[in-house]
Amino acid sequence: MLRILAIVALVLLPPAVEWRVAAPDYAWSFPRDHWAHDGYRTEWWYFTGHLESAGRTFGYQFTFFRIGIVSEPIELDSDWASSHVIMGHAAVTDLASGRHVFSEVLYRETPLLASFDHEPEERIGWSRGPAGTKALWTLDFTGDGFRIAARDDRLEMGFELTTRAAKPRIFQGPGGFSRKGKASGAASQYYSYTRLETSGELTMGGERFDVVGESWMDKEFSSSQLEPQQVGWDWFSLQLDDGRELMLYIMRREDGTTDYAKGTVVSPDGEARYLELEDFSFEATRHWVSPSTEARYPVAWRVRLPSEGLELDVRALVDDQENKSRLPGGVFYWEGAVTISAPGAGGEALGRGFVELTGYGEGNRPPV
Amino acid sequence: MIRYFFRALRAQLHGGLSLFALSLFGVSIGVAAVVSIQIINLNALSAFSGSMEAVSGGADVMILGKMPALSEDTYPRVLATPGVEAAWPLFRLDVAAEDFYLEVIGVDFFTPIDVPWEGASVDLSAALGEPGWVAVTPTLAREKGWELGHRLEVSVGTRKTELVIGAFSDFQKATPLASPRLAVMDIAQAQSLFGARGELHQIDVKILADADPSDVIAELERSLGNQALVLTPEQREQQASDLLSAFRLNLTALSAISLFVGGFLVFSSTQANLVRRRTEFGLLRSLGATHRQVMGLLVGDVLLLGLLGVAVGMPLGYLVAEANVERVSATVTNLYLLDAINELEVPAWFFLLAAAVGLFGAGLGALMPALELGRKDTRSLLAAFSLHERVGARALRSFLLGVGLMFLGGILYLLVGDRWRPAGFIQAFLLIAAVPLVMPLVVQGATGLLHVRSFGLAYGMKGLGKQLQTTPVAIAALAIAVSMVVGVTTMVASFRETLAIWIDATVQADVYVSTPAWRRSRRRAVLGASVIEVLARHPAVEQVDRLRQFFAYTNGRRFSFAGVDARAPGENSRFALLDGEMLGAAPGGVMVGEPLARKERLSVGDDLVIDGPRGPVALPIQGIYYDYSSELGSAFTHLETMAKHFGAGPVNSVALYLEDGVDSERVVDELKASLADVPLAIRSNRRLREQALRVFDQTFAITRLLRYMSLLIAVTGVALTLIVLARERSAELALYRALGASRLQIFRVFLGKGLGMAIVGIVLGSLAGVVFAFILIYVVNRAFFGWTIAVHWPIELLVQQSLVVLAASVLASIYPARVASRVPATELRREDL
Repeated sequence: MLRILAIVALVLLPPAVEWRVAAPDYAWSFPRDHWAHDGYRTEWWYFTGHLESAGRTFGYQFTFFRIGIVSEPIELDSDWASSHVIMGHAAVTDLASGRHVFSEVLYRETPLLASFDHEPEERIGWSRGPAGTKALWTLDFTGDGFRIAARDDRLEMGFELTTRAAKPRIFQGPGGFSRKGKASGAASQYYSYTRLETSGELTMGGERFDVVGESWMDKEFSSSQLEPQQVGWDWFSLQLDDGRELMLYIMRREDGTTDYAKGTVVSPDGEARYLELEDFSFEATRHWVSPSTEARYPVAWRVRLPSEGLELDVRALVDDQENKSRLPGGVFYWEGAVTISAPGAGGEALGRGFVELTGYGEGNRPPV
Repeated sequence: MIRYFFRALRAQLHGGLSLFALSLFGVSIGVAAVVSIQIINLNALSAFSGSMEAVSGGADVMILGKMPALSEDTYPRVLATPGVEAAWPLFRLDVAAEDFYLEVIGVDFFTPIDVPWEGASVDLSAALGEPGWVAVTPTLAREKGWELGHRLEVSVGTRKTELVIGAFSDFQKATPLASPRLAVMDIAQAQSLFGARGELHQIDVKILADADPSDVIAELERSLGNQALVLTPEQREQQASDLLSAFRLNLTALSAISLFVGGFLVFSSTQANLVRRRTEFGLLRSLGATHRQVMGLLVGDVLLLGLLGVAVGMPLGYLVAEANVERVSATVTNLYLLDAINELEVPAWFFLLAAAVGLFGAGLGALMPALELGRKDTRSLLAAFSLHERVGARALRSFLLGVGLMFLGGILYLLVGDRWRPAGFIQAFLLIAAVPLVMPLVVQGATGLLHVRSFGLAYGMKGLGKQLQTTPVAIAALAIAVSMVVGVTTMVASFRETLAIWIDATVQADVYVSTPAWRRSRRRAVLGASVIEVLARHPAVEQVDRLRQFFAYTNGRRFSFAGVDARAPGENSRFALLDGEMLGAAPGGVMVGEPLARKERLSVGDDLVIDGPRGPVALPIQGIYYDYSSELGSAFTHLETMAKHFGAGPVNSVALYLEDGVDSERVVDELKASLADVPLAIRSNRRLREQALRVFDQTFAITRLLRYMSLLIAVTGVALTLIVLARERSAELALYRALGASRLQIFRVFLGKGLGMAIVGIVLGSLAGVVFAFILIYVVNRAFFGWTIAVHWPIELLVQQSLVVLAASVLASIYPARVASRVPATELRREDL
């Protein structure tokens, strides 16, 4: 799944001439490919999910981004010698109260602050928490799933979650090669765990909860994805109650029209079928305007996928699930828990998922 | 009355232009002296503050290393401290480049530090990946003709490296006073290129808006222990300001004396004005003008003089400041290791202050004459020869008061000595106040001793004793200026002589080797081991004495701490001892320099407690040595002792002892040739001594200027007084002429007066100067700098200066004497007889 990278605007990336580019014949090797791929410019591990605790429901997001600055390792006699930056985003939404909390970190890769490990270490990556807090943010591979931890004491939020794959890993795009545009370089290497059984503890508003639920994990690495005419994307990861999952995305142009689109439908037994632009459609049925950024986001959609006999209403569980960076650059995007139901008012509940919306708002454009 | 004021002014200018010009000159120079020093003082810290603002403007707190280095492990601890909104590490180092220092700041570009890039963006992949990438200020680039891609060689210690200009960071755009030599590079590159893995020098912290800063600071102090100083920007600036405070205070005191002398001049000229216009004021009063109106005329005169003095003095002061800024800047950088003053900035309020100082000085000078005028009734204003008798009658009382003040100064010395910092200045003030008080009786006594045989020089001199209203003031001004010149000259000469003797005792090796970055980078200016080997291998080198130095803290005070090989020949005499004994062969003890011992009240047998990397290190003080290297204070121990408590570290400089009879200059040349590629400062014993004295002379150059300004004012005062006398006594002169005195005789009488004033001023000024020198040497210097200075009288120089003052006074008397000699007998009026 292509995910938010708008914040790397502050990093002012150089041209990607020396970086490895995504290729259809990439030789995947697991579990090694769960860890970092230094030769690519960008890479991310993206977790989203729905969690429950004694009647309380929460949406969460955890992401580690690796952003390459220099393609080759820098040989300097200093712990600060680093060719990468690590960015972490964590968000929790209390679906009952509608409260959404977002926290972030950005560090250069150095043993002092943050780093990515390599197989056979259990740890995939870690970073210090936000300034003024003591806890570390971590991502581990446990063999049958992942362990994630993020905490921001100042915002009184955090979670420590263990996930276990309930369905097999699938590639997004044939061979894990996911195109994002017509240009040859506009692609990424991409796989997902569409259902991860999740348990652990979550803190919200200083209150601690034992939680269980389901997550979705995306892992992507690439060196160039967006084309110049593309300004952002709408991205859906939907888990249906009948055991199917849908991943859909459209890349938008400045005028709001669709420039490129792809999708994947995963059958209950884990088979992936790849979708083209003409296979599906979605239209926004309601919008919400962020009071702080004035960005106008769609928050309800009608999704149609005739080949699967699907017509779905997808609605945000909470309108305000906007993530606003406090770091220089002030990038913002919408990443939120959604519910899925049959069309029309009072339609039957059919599942849940997450939606990501980028490139909304004046001048808020992802640079890659 | 206002119209009258302007008409009278025109008439005055017409009739007494020289008098007015001299008064104006005096006030202007007085104001200029104060203004110039205050501008320099104001700007002494400007580059430091400007650079601090430019680099750390966004920080609420700065964390500075106290140990040899601030370990970078500190950074995550700071970052995790509750209440911290953001923190960014800084690696700071001054590196030698061509003929200047580049102030390198290594930063982590992914922290919220705000680098003012010139242009829209900067290629961070180059900043991180291109070896030697550095961003310099556009000002420096323009000055040096550098463009993007320019390569420059820099060195720290014997480590050379090449930097390449990859971008411009315009620190001066937001903070004009920031040093143009600031250069930014990636922290990893900085640590790696300059061989400082794991080291930071500063961590800037921004505190959350809703956190209590004092809680956060307390928490940081608790978690960092004694490894670091946690300071607010204000405290940091204060720290730098404290460093310079003694130096600045001394300059201010000297400039205040100039103003004081200038005030006397205003007094004289106002007095002259009063004398000259006495009958005019009497007439006005008898014609119905009120007392207030007449006073208004006088105040108007003084205000005009003050304003014009300020108008001329301020730009003059600025020019003087500009002409001397380089010297002061050199002192600030060489002695105090702060940033050089790049440009002078004068805030608007300063002009108001300078105007107030000028007007206040002029007003103070006019106070006495105005009060005098206020007391006089119309008749006494119209009458002649009534002014001086009263002063004569008061001479004894005034003398006793002056002696009392000096006595008070003596008591103060006996009571507090050099232990109370302001004591020296109070004593100097009492002395300066006593001089004019004793002057009338001294003039009376001195002129009374004269036996006059003819109507000439001696007659003129004797006459001074009868003109006590004006002449003692001018003589006092001259005496104070002379006392300042004698005092400061003696102090500077004594200091220089003491320093020279100390250098002779201390600088005993034949050749000294350090690196160009040594003066500013100290600990990081490492002399590579291979270089030391090369030096030691030279056939003429008998012994190599190593020195390792860094800044350490004791009781919150920063001082220079050195480790030395205590095994060189003549080691026992290398440091002139004030107390105790030299370090023995066994390690463990420490020697403390006099300034540090005085400031921390340390004696032999006490422990010097130094903040060490693992906690406080207490070293027993074995001896206290004379130290004139820095007022910051210094201490040294065995290299082994230093390594034991502070960890092993590299050597910063070495002293080479050569075999007897070897020409050290030849060895210097040979070493330079064999190590041509290595950035080294190799100096012979003689060169090092010369350099030390040159730095000294540079430091005191500004005092010389102030001395001369005061003298100029004082000599102007002599001329002014004599012009007043020539005008005031025109009737008397006319009588002499009517009685047959020739013009030449009258010329001689006035020349005699000038000569007499100069002699009395010089004699009394020299006597006061001796006391002044003692105050400067034994009280002020010890209290502020902690130096013991052996008194050395620069007799030849003092005599020369006295002769110059004498000659200048006589020259200054020529014009008034000419004016006096031209008074015709027709000026004689009936009431004068």
